[in-house]
Amino acid sequence: MSVPFLAMQEILKIFPPAVVALDRVSVEFRPGEIHAVVGENGAGKSTLMKVLYGLEAANSGQIQLRGQAVQFHSPGQAIAAGIGMVHQEILLVQEYRVWENIVLGLEPAGWFGRLDERQALRSVQQKIDEFHFNLDPLARVGEISVAARQKVEILKLLYRNVAVLILDEPTAVLTPQEIPQLFAELRRLRAGGKTILFISHHLEEVLELSDRITVLRKGRQVATLETSATNQAELSRLMIGRELARPPRPAAAPPGQPVLEVEGLSYRDGAGRLRLQDLSLQVRAGEIVGVAGVEGNGQFELVNVLMGLNPPESGRLLVQGHDLTRAEILERRRRIAFVSQDRGRLGAAVRATITENALMTHHRLNPRFTRWRGWRLEARAALQFARRIETQFGVSMASPEQPFQSLSGGNQQKVILGRELLLETPFLLLDQPTRGLDVGSMEYVHELILTLRAEQRAILLISADLEELFRLSDRIVVLHRGRLVADLPAVSASLEQVGALMLEGKEHPDGPQAD
Amino acid sequence: MNIFKGLINGMIAGATPILLAALGGTYTYYAGIFNIAMEGMMLAGAFGAVLGSYFFHSWLAGLLCAILGSTLLALIFILFAVVLKTDEFITGIALNLFAVGATTYLLRQIFAVKGAFSSPEILPIPRLHLAGLEKVPVLGEILSGQNLLVYLMLAALLLSVYVIFKTRFGLRLRAAGYNAPSLDSSGVRTAVIRVWALLICGVLCGLAGAYLSLGYVTLFSENMSAGRGWISLAAVILVNGNPWGIALISLLFGFTDGLGLWLQQSLPSQFTAMVPYLATLAALYFYSMRRKRLAR
Amino acid sequence: MGRKLISALLGVLIALALGALIMLLQGYNPLSTYAALFSFSLLGWSPLATTLRNAVPLILTGLSASVAFASGPVNLGQPGQLLMGALFATLGGLSLDLPPLVMIPVLLLLAMLGGAFWSGLAALARHWFNMDEFITTLMLNMIADYFTYWAISYPLYDAEAFSPMTPQIHRAGWLPEFGDFNSNVLVMLAAFGALWFLFNRLTAGYEWRLTGQNGLFARLGGVNIERNYLAVMLVTGALAGLAGGLVVMAGPHRFLKGLGANYAWDGVMIAVVANNGLVGTLLYGLFFSSLQTGALGMELITAVPGEFIQVLQAVIVLVVVAGRGRLDWLLERSLARQKARERAA
Repeated sequence: MSVPFLAMQEILKIFPPAVVALDRVSVEFRPGEIHAVVGENGAGKSTLMKVLYGLEAANSGQIQLRGQAVQFHSPGQAIAAGIGMVHQEILLVQEYRVWENIVLGLEPAGWFGRLDERQALRSVQQKIDEFHFNLDPLARVGEISVAARQKVEILKLLYRNVAVLILDEPTAVLTPQEIPQLFAELRRLRAGGKTILFISHHLEEVLELSDRITVLRKGRQVATLETSATNQAELSRLMIGRELARPPRPAAAPPGQPVLEVEGLSYRDGAGRLRLQDLSLQVRAGEIVGVAGVEGNGQFELVNVLMGLNPPESGRLLVQGHDLTRAEILERRRRIAFVSQDRGRLGAAVRATITENALMTHHRLNPRFTRWRGWRLEARAALQFARRIETQFGVSMASPEQPFQSLSGGNQQKVILGRELLLETPFLLLDQPTRGLDVGSMEYVHELILTLRAEQRAILLISADLEELFRLSDRIVVLHRGRLVADLPAVSASLEQVGALMLEGKEHPDGPQAD
Repeated sequence: MNIFKGLINGMIAGATPILLAALGGTYTYYAGIFNIAMEGMMLAGAFGAVLGSYFFHSWLAGLLCAILGSTLLALIFILFAVVLKTDEFITGIALNLFAVGATTYLLRQIFAVKGAFSSPEILPIPRLHLAGLEKVPVLGEILSGQNLLVYLMLAALLLSVYVIFKTRFGLRLRAAGYNAPSLDSSGVRTAVIRVWALLICGVLCGLAGAYLSLGYVTLFSENMSAGRGWISLAAVILVNGNPWGIALISLLFGFTDGLGLWLQQSLPSQFTAMVPYLATLAALYFYSMRRKRLAR
Repeated sequence: MGRKLISALLGVLIALALGALIMLLQGYNPLSTYAALFSFSLLGWSPLATTLRNAVPLILTGLSASVAFASGPVNLGQPGQLLMGALFATLGGLSLDLPPLVMIPVLLLLAMLGGAFWSGLAALARHWFNMDEFITTLMLNMIADYFTYWAISYPLYDAEAFSPMTPQIHRAGWLPEFGDFNSNVLVMLAAFGALWFLFNRLTAGYEWRLTGQNGLFARLGGVNIERNYLAVMLVTGALAGLAGGLVVMAGPHRFLKGLGANYAWDGVMIAVVANNGLVGTLLYGLFFSSLQTGALGMELITAVPGEFIQVLQAVIVLVVVAGRGRLDWLLERSLARQKARERAA
């Protein structure tokens, strides 16, 4: 019997105070294979990889590399042993050039620690050529595409001669068109003898790319299978514990009057770059309009301009006929409810209590919550209001006086949704409302959005998840470089069509073009 | 001619401690540390300098003790902010308090005085007369005959530019500030880089302190750093850490310092003493307006 | 609350132990030193009264810093605002002579006005020119220091004095004393009560607190950030100014040179150890006052110089603040360990 190349044995990881993230997981990896680790959000995929990579210390269990027990206390040690990881949130210095990022930490140096720029550039170029990566080593990382940054991350590891590459959901940041190129590169790496660990929850990808698959569910290892011997239905059953049932989309009622009207909206940022260009858009009562686009194509700016954080350069914004183009934020909030993608930064003050978070905006708009002409808060009304959110939205909380951060992600989002929906505004702006939620909470939010449509509210839904957009929207608009390049009925649009629009800004890309 | 020379020399004298401390601050700035302890480090350096010079009858020992004193503060900063991960702002405030408290306490304990200590046994740091430079017309009198620390300051400036932008350490240093997780994942421990940055800052602030108590004057008085550490911090922030920018701003402050002395002929000394602080506000004004224009 | 209290007490005890260690190294007896220290500041009516009186400026500047930090603005200008408050109150006390019942409130208002004026300068510099209050307030401290020094050296100079100081203010402006107790404590308690109510019960306080925790969230929630910023700066400046006015009206009844030096960074220091909590600020203010008041007794009875207290204070700040984060971390880790053992079994 041969010694396994890389083995993780009985890994137990508990996050303080008592969340079992990995429950005695054991996996073996073979040299020169692409091994997929799949599971739902929160199943423990990333944690398993972080333990392997030395970013998290396991509470018990051990890791063996070529028969030797190893324990990494830092990524540096893992890399030195030949194991490298490409993170989901790409970890590069934006201010540095591609080559500087690649050599950082392993720089060729001359006398007095002087950086040997020429030597560094030469070895980086050599790696780029060796693996056929199409990259300019002198480009500044802040100015290249997300796909290119991912390549820089991979090259950074190849420059360190790692034998094992861990990729944490690498396709999450890519458009459908960019994925095949990544897969081709990964296959080339496998042909070069590298072992690739690939985290994903997209089963089609996993089936297409991998040799073997390990399935995790709620911190437990459910199975490790040969890819050739399994199929999508079996995998999804293993992942979720039941067959994935997709509820039929309720038929849309005929949409009503236009609620949100955006006319010729343009926005220029501080550096003078045009970020939104002549945007025109309508959302009617009882209609969900989905905004698709690769991240960084104007979604952020659109949200900021709609909410009044940044003033537009030109154009108009109306809700139910009221001109809000230059209105104060409070004035907007009478008509716009807003759920942001970043709960901790935009959606809540996490150290304040649940009640205090629930009260925001209401305290200014609803006289019920104040006395003395608005000067004094009505604490009891606020508490009752938090309780109402608790029951109406099924939030599980110990007490409304607990800090907001004591809630789980799903419950936090429910409180935020409750607060915003109870503003009873005609228009809702939802910016990736399911980001970072587990599958149960995600389904809850989707149901809620469909209910809101039935209540004749107008909804603008921004999402990076195309499946979500197709599942919920009546119309899909596509943002590309700050312009709306398409407005399609969701029923007749196809995933490929929208993917091409997101990437190229037009429907039929005529071959790969350099931007 | 003499007024001109006096103004220039006054400018250099005023600029030296600020530039030295600000250069220290620039290392921590690039390393991503919010370091407001320069004021305290300078004060500890000034005290150490007098202590060393007095007891060993040697300005060199004074210089070494100055570095020792401020590095000790840097070590405490490292212990709390880097190792125990206490808030940097709070650590800085506590260290500044500690420096004032400890130097006053030790002044009382060791020299048995309150307020200030001076003695003929404290040897000042000498001026350096460079034979070659003295002969340069017009500038010779300024280029030569400055305090040793002025030349050290120049060397520190040039060395810092080289270290920060041209070396392996510099690449890692700046990466620690730009994106610490990225540096960590590259196999370099950010904490180690930060420790080095703080130690370098300690050494440079020690030199700045030594200039205050063994160069500018030859005595130690309570709280003699008098906000110069804060001005250095402002200088670092105003130019985003660029060493050349820091040199320029420090010279500007040195100039206003000299100007204040010159203005004393016509204004009460309390007003002339305000000049460097008003100049800091003016510099902040221009910086903020520029940034505001860019943000529009 | 229980955990917070334990963490604070533990921190103070460790700091006192460290102080004892320093004393031992210097050859002093720590036990008798601490005994002298606290008996001089806490044992008996008169020491207690002195400690209370000395606590007033500490607590008020501490509250100023606490409210500012908890609401967002980094107002480090308490020393300058205190000096300007003291100067305004002195000016009023020298030029007005009204019946005490009118005079005292007027002088207190003037003191608050002086502090608010000085913090208002920094607030407006931020409002109009986007200048960071962190640096402006620091520079304004220095400027206020020299400005008041000039004011008491020339225009308000008391010709009979040997060093720069003003003449005494009119008797009607002196705060009444009850035995050993000075009524400045009552003014401070009233200010504390009003501030607590404002911060915890009024709409403005709610908005300040949430803005301090997450400004962007509050802004998106419709809170008027700019207006609240100005209000916080003015209120916290007024608090520091009030501290200055009370120093003049309760103590020497005049503006002496170096009046503010004793309280330079104490407000910020107390806010920092109290983690910007109002009640915590009150308690730590009393505690630090007992240290500072006892310093004199310690120096008289033992050989330890009073300046030792300054060192001790800084040690307390570091240990308490570092300990606060550390204790939570330790507790969570031990819980996780326990869970791991259960699983492994």
